[in-house]
Amino acid sequence: MKLTIKSKLVGGCSCLLLVILGVAGIGAFSVLSLRRSAFQTTRVGDRLNAESLEIQVHTLQAESQVRDYLNGIKTMGAQQSKETYLDEAEFEVNEIQNLAANLMKISPTEAVRAKFAHIPAAANAYTEALDNIVNNSGSNGKSEESKASLDAYEKAATRLSESAEDGEITGHDASQTSQMEIEATSKRSVALVTGVSLFGLIFALTMSVALSRAILVPVEHLKDVAENVSLGNLDMTVRRYSEDEIGDLADSFSRMVTAVKFFRSEAQTIQEEAEVGGGVR
Amino acid sequence: MSALSDKVIAISKPYFGPATEAFLNRQCKGHLNIDVTELAPSHVKELAKWVETSGALLMDAAKASEIAGKIAKL
Repeated sequence: MKLTIKSKLVGGCSCLLLVILGVAGIGAFSVLSLRRSAFQTTRVGDRLNAESLEIQVHTLQAESQVRDYLNGIKTMGAQQSKETYLDEAEFEVNEIQNLAANLMKISPTEAVRAKFAHIPAAANAYTEALDNIVNNSGSNGKSEESKASLDAYEKAATRLSESAEDGEITGHDASQTSQMEIEATSKRSVALVTGVSLFGLIFALTMSVALSRAILVPVEHLKDVAENVSLGNLDMTVRRYSEDEIGDLADSFSRMVTAVKFFRSEAQTIQEEAEVGGGVR
Repeated sequence: MSALSDKVIAISKPYFGPATEAFLNRQCKGHLNIDVTELAPSHVKELAKWVETSGALLMDAAKASEIAGKIAKL
């Protein structure tokens, strides 16, 4: 297939257009990825933090209900106090379990999930300790068992609080990690777009130089030949640089120079013959 | 004009342009003692040799050799 200047220009421009479209596409893809990544990681980090804080609030409320229950035993009796306060406390513990399960579900990594896994265990221990208090409340808090169960409850409550605090710190750390991930994604996107843009720029420059050379070099050569011929120097070799329109032009020019050379030599020969004939006469 | 003459002129035209007939006529008359219209297969080798030699004086030697090759194959 003959590569014409038109096809070279169309091909070159198409390649440049493709590179520009590629750069724009990668840029758009990077920005969208960055946005999605930022949205997801920020949302997960914030939820971990917020739900951990919610667990702490439920823990405090449960403890408050249990304190009221213990005080209520003295004033309204064990059964009445249990119905008034412990149902609420159980509801709070259930909420803690639900929130902890959800936190483990949305945790982005295994390490974060492991941190939140302490909360359900602590909540179970807290419920057990609470049951023990209820079972030993008949002695009105004076027996050894009752004191032991109260101590166990205090320990379980402390552990639940600590687990909730750990969860909050983990949520905060996850938020921080999210920020770092966003920064990393941002840097990666910038590097990618910069790299592709640089490649596009180098490619465009190379294409421009190649196209210019493909057109300018043969045209300059033809201009030199034309100038020489116009000044009477016919001993010029017309080179065909490329198989395109300029190559065809070079051939035409070469043909013309050959014909002019031949006709000039013919004219000289006729003139010499005429001179010789005239001299003989 | 013979068919062979037409073929030789057609082959030479892209190289000699408007001087084709005059150039070939000069070679035929000067070296073969015939008119270009009287070309016969027996003249082809000799004509090709003179086209190469004389053509090299007017154009690139490689091009002259190229035409001669094409004529010789006729």
